[in-house]
Amino acid sequence: MNDAIRMQISAFVDGELPDNEADLLLRRMGQDAELRRKVAEYLAIGRIMRGESSVAGIERLSDRIAEEIGGRRVDDAAVAAAEPSGRAIRPLAGIAVAASVALVAIFGLQFTDPPDGQGSAPEVAAVATSTPETAYTVPQPVDETLLQYYRSHGELSSEYGANGINARLVTLRLSEEALEEEEAAAPEGQAAEPEDEGAGDRPREGTDL
Amino acid sequence: MVPLRSPLFAGLVLAVGHCVLPAAAMAGSPDPLDWLNRMGVAVQTTSYEGTVLRMREGRAEALKVVHTVRDGVVHEKVVAQEGDGLEIIRSGNEVHCILPERKSVLVEEWSDQSTVFSTLPSSDIRFGNEYDVAIVREERVAGRKTMLIAIRPHDGYRYGHRLWLDTETGFPLQTQLIDESGAAVEQVKFADIRFDVEITESKLASSYQTEDFRWFTQPSRHTGHSVDTTWASSSLPPGFQAIATHGESLPGRDEVVTHILYSDGLASVSVFIAPQDDAHADGPASVGGSNSFSVLIDGHQVTAVGEVPAATVEQIATTMGQL
Repeated sequence: MNDAIRMQISAFVDGELPDNEADLLLRRMGQDAELRRKVAEYLAIGRIMRGESSVAGIERLSDRIAEEIGGRRVDDAAVAAAEPSGRAIRPLAGIAVAASVALVAIFGLQFTDPPDGQGSAPEVAAVATSTPETAYTVPQPVDETLLQYYRSHGELSSEYGANGINARLVTLRLSEEALEEEEAAAPEGQAAEPEDEGAGDRPREGTDL
Repeated sequence: MVPLRSPLFAGLVLAVGHCVLPAAAMAGSPDPLDWLNRMGVAVQTTSYEGTVLRMREGRAEALKVVHTVRDGVVHEKVVAQEGDGLEIIRSGNEVHCILPERKSVLVEEWSDQSTVFSTLPSSDIRFGNEYDVAIVREERVAGRKTMLIAIRPHDGYRYGHRLWLDTETGFPLQTQLIDESGAAVEQVKFADIRFDVEITESKLASSYQTEDFRWFTQPSRHTGHSVDTTWASSSLPPGFQAIATHGESLPGRDEVVTHILYSDGLASVSVFIAPQDDAHADGPASVGGSNSFSVLIDGHQVTAVGEVPAATVEQIATTMGQL
């Protein structure tokens, strides 16, 4: 990717790219996954640098991408990305969904595209999900056995000195029936008696957690 | 360029925390292994406060991170800057994932040293002859001067790493996991960072009053023990060897799964061998830079998982068999 393209992307996410150049850039994005990834990076970096909750070009980007993928809005595309892709899918429920989605959003869980190679919608959605509007609302397909394997791999490889992905994924395998809810939310007076270090709001020693 | 070999690198990394050369002496070192050694020390001992961007497969998330180590114990607060305001409060291995919108706290136990870095080659196990490490050039990241270090694999069976290490502290301000085409599979980058701030208790405390929240704990972790196995790969990629074999009971499953861990000294691949499971699909899947491949062999579901390219887990999984 050359500097001219980078400048184009930067101008585009700032809403400053002329229409004719924006059209060209969008067409290229439709064929170039690396370009889409780069745009996603710019969107995120722009938000951080400017302390904004949204980016000037994002609404326009959403509309234009919707046109490129056949009239669907970005939200629709994101849902499409979450649809089964040939793997065993078992949607989680309740708190498990919340936990999974939150950590999916942070740690970037994304299963492979369908084997037919029709990856454009998920890839476009990957760009879209970097926006506040969609990033935390799309459950991902989860193969529970596979997640247990990822987690176990992380644990054992960590034991042997290799950095695993354990810490990124442990919560993903939560299921509502497996959670052991504390009887009384938190012990009385807990907040008034913080621990001496670290997580000051954690339950006191002896709490049956 | 220096090949990563045991026991040289292993010795350097094992020396972390025991024999630290003066930073000034190391800062200008022409030896890339010195830089990796400094990084190992910095990650385990440095306190910092900053904003991290994590980028994987087109997704980018911003996290505010406060991190300190006291008496060898990690204390950390990570706050998602978008979405539902998820907070992760960590004290040692105990981790509280606070979901404010759900008024819930998930209590977990994590074993690694940092919530932020998952792809650092800080392994203290032995490196084989499968990588070279080199100093590339100086660059600036987050407004600070860094040295770019490249760890390059000799073939396409494993990923490479690029590390931008702060010249003053050795701390990794940017890391990339690199695939065969040279593209970054995963990236962690500080947009801003400060090392000279005091990390107080209040900075590490949750932003929420959680006493009225619902508290949950993770179900018991899997239990494992070393076992012998007749399963092995007939065609392991070069440099990989089995370093552990466990029998494991996983949550919600009755049967014991055989877990074989292969490593080339830096990358690792786990192979799980379980009785045939109709609910578990064959084929590839991926999470960030981690790939898996599952296949049915002799009435067993064989699944390979690791932070390696898809072709590597496929080759290992499909060549497993009983001796």
